[in-house]
Amino acid sequence: MTAATATTDLGEAYSGYLDHLADADEYAATDLAIGLLDAGVPAERVLLDLVAPAQAEVGERWARNEWSVAQEHAATHISEQVVAAVSAHVKARPTGGRVVVACMDGEWHALPPRLVAEVLRLRGWQVTFLGASVPAAHLVSYLHRYDAHAVALACALPMRLPYAHRMIEACRRSDVPVVVGGRGFGTDGRWARRLGVAWAPDAPSAAELITDERALRGAAPAQLAHLGDDEYASLVRRRGELIDSALAELRERVPAARAYTAAQLDATVSDLGHIVDFLAAAVYVDDPTLFTEFVEWLSGILGSRGVPTGAVVLPLEHYAAALRDFPRAARALALGCAALPATAR
Amino acid sequence: MTASDVRDWDPGDGRLSTPSTTRPSAWSADVRRPTAALPPLAPDRGQTTPDWLEVVEHFREGLVVCDADGVVRHVSPVAERLLPEVTSGELLSAAGVHGLSEGVPGSFTHRGRRLTARQVPLSGDRCCWYVEDVTDSVSRADALLAERARSAFLAVVGDKLGNPLHPDRAAAAVVRLAVPTLAEVAVLVIAPRAGRARWWRASRTDDEVPTVDSGVLAGGELPTAIADGLTGAEPHAVDWLVEQAVDAGWLPGLAGTESAARVVPLPGRDAPVGVLLVARRATRWYDEDDVELVRAFAARAGAALTTALLYRDQAEVADTLQASLLPVEPVEAVGVQWGTAYRPAQAGLRIGGDFYGSHRLTDGGSVFFLGDVSGKGVEAAVFTGQLRQCLQALHRLESNPARLLRLLNDALLETTQAHGQGRFATIVLGVARPERDGGLTLTMAGGGHLPPLVLRASGEVETVELRGMLIGVVPDPRVGEVTVRLAPGETCLLYSDGVTEARGGRRGDEQFGPERLVTALTGCQRMPAPALAERVEQITCDWLAQGDHDDIAVLALRAAGPSGRGARHLHSVPAGIDQTEETDA
Repeated sequence: MTAATATTDLGEAYSGYLDHLADADEYAATDLAIGLLDAGVPAERVLLDLVAPAQAEVGERWARNEWSVAQEHAATHISEQVVAAVSAHVKARPTGGRVVVACMDGEWHALPPRLVAEVLRLRGWQVTFLGASVPAAHLVSYLHRYDAHAVALACALPMRLPYAHRMIEACRRSDVPVVVGGRGFGTDGRWARRLGVAWAPDAPSAAELITDERALRGAAPAQLAHLGDDEYASLVRRRGELIDSALAELRERVPAARAYTAAQLDATVSDLGHIVDFLAAAVYVDDPTLFTEFVEWLSGILGSRGVPTGAVVLPLEHYAAALRDFPRAARALALGCAALPATAR
Repeated sequence: MTASDVRDWDPGDGRLSTPSTTRPSAWSADVRRPTAALPPLAPDRGQTTPDWLEVVEHFREGLVVCDADGVVRHVSPVAERLLPEVTSGELLSAAGVHGLSEGVPGSFTHRGRRLTARQVPLSGDRCCWYVEDVTDSVSRADALLAERARSAFLAVVGDKLGNPLHPDRAAAAVVRLAVPTLAEVAVLVIAPRAGRARWWRASRTDDEVPTVDSGVLAGGELPTAIADGLTGAEPHAVDWLVEQAVDAGWLPGLAGTESAARVVPLPGRDAPVGVLLVARRATRWYDEDDVELVRAFAARAGAALTTALLYRDQAEVADTLQASLLPVEPVEAVGVQWGTAYRPAQAGLRIGGDFYGSHRLTDGGSVFFLGDVSGKGVEAAVFTGQLRQCLQALHRLESNPARLLRLLNDALLETTQAHGQGRFATIVLGVARPERDGGLTLTMAGGGHLPPLVLRASGEVETVELRGMLIGVVPDPRVGEVTVRLAPGETCLLYSDGVTEARGGRRGDEQFGPERLVTALTGCQRMPAPALAERVEQITCDWLAQGDHDDIAVLALRAAGPSGRGARHLHSVPAGIDQTEETDA
């Protein structure tokens, strides 16, 4: 089989695969992937050119409110089964050392790191995949017990960066080099640089980085001197109070908010909490673009669910007033407001 | 020359020339204030003019005065001693003293002494060189800096080796830390285990990060110096040490004749845990201070390796025990798709007081259970182990859930009374039997546990009425019993109180509660059982927002359809009833 035919097959296979995900048809999706392997398509391409883009599309469909959370989870589960089937079909012989792959604590997007784990396995590493939301204590005791050539950590949400940093430090104290990946570190990995850790944009570059121990250990030191101003710690301390007062103001200014159901109230509290968490993360890495990117994303998500962008402006302005004495947080909030469409302000 | 001429000059005692580099505030505080208090210099004017030359001769700085043509006109006795080449009446440049070139003040080494020189212009285009011998203060400063560097190095070493590490990792860290401060090549040989000695080596490369490799030697192949070191001796005859190391091929890039090497034992619990060989180019010999530093390093490295080996031995035991106490994934059963989630309260421990599992029955059905024992941590986990073993044996005798639960109660009561533990458990125990249409019939018995939830094909969530008393407390407990039918695609979910009693929310003190769980599951009827179980775990952990939690366990069983690969076959059988829920719901 030539490479050209393999490419066309994958293009056709992709839409078929998405249909199987939409139908929650685990067996059809698996058969399709295994069929490609049997036709000579390399396993790495099936994982990275079929499963990975399909998963990205699943996320997009959720963001556009075309799919429910339940559908998204079902599709993700099926892709995980497909990855497991591909892995079982191609028996890679381990020749390299052990690499531990895990999601950061509180991080549930396990499929992307799973794909990285399988690519590493295909390239001869002996891979241990610890799964979603791995507590730092668990990871560290694992490293003490079994050692590893390297640890690959995934973080999809920038709001987890402070926790990610703690976890990276925990691995460092065990003297195991760390490579990180995932959207949580910024599309260009700039927040990984801020935390002083090696970053890989995709699975193949992660695999290359892991073979180069000197590059892994050679990451420039973290640039976190700004944490001395205590803004991050104060924000975390005041989280509950900020959400409470924002909710009170929302109820006062938007009469409909007083009639929220328990579930709507939970969702609102959760959104208000996310705003504080992303703000705190932006303060942690001292980069307001982390916050403005989140605000744009949030208004998109809410927009697709019929919530007007104005609903985002109100808490931003409330937090800005409450955090007058926090220059870095206030700047991020001001830029966040400015990032919203003019009609909302 | 008058007093006003020298008032702003540096007095040349070395104290004022470089004050601001170290203590600027002390300088201004100590000196300016007394200056203000002193009488002005003017009254000196009328007094006998001192013999300036004689005064100047006693400066710590030597003076060399040159005329406009650069010819030396005066050399003070101090300058004569420091610069014997400089002769009055000759060109200064002819003396060939390096540090005295035009307009370049600074320090230089001359005749084995460290000198500083600065040039000051005088009237009539003359100039004066002030030359000072700073050998002693420089060597004191150097010694202080070297001591500081050694302390800083040992602090970094203590920091890096202070955590318990995997033994291999600790060994690699030891050699990596030794380069480049202690050596260009560092080799660590671990005391032989079963006749084989493992070694690690770090070698200096062009950049900051040394390369590390490792290997194994048979005990008999060790160079004599290393074998001696392992008995605790520290060999001092350096020449043959280097030769041996070169012969062993351990010193890449270092030739035997041009290298200096040292071997120090790493102290262990009784005998040395290993031996460290450090080697570098002979241009940097190992002096007494260096050897002290290597020994201090070896002491820390030895402690780290000993801790690592101790930790490994104990972790092996703990791991084996933990593995026997972890919940076992449910066994595959016809018509059932299992989903599980398990998150113990103590993450580092991996085990806790929640448990679940299943056993296959001879008639094609399965016994399944999920429960929670009193207490937390290791003791609770050990109790779950006893409980699971009881069930493992008892399900062979009794397959009716209520009667099985009573048997379990009696067995536990006997054990806990015998051990005086006073432990108890809550549990849901059921039997799942596949139906012809791909559905499942669940018969469940309740032992005081949270009621199961059923996720119907409509997307609604029902709470199963199932009560009963704790087990392991009284001889004949009241046991609840219920039968539930699952159509294909419907799911029954068992969970522990770690889910509903998770504390989080706005203030971190609100319980998650059963209502939120029901809301979160509503509409999830298309989810496969593993995804559903993970969803419950995820929303619980999101609610907790990194807070502390109790053990969390979830067991979901979904009626998978008539065969394990239901969905695909159903596409080819349009008349089938069951697939509609799979694909069109």
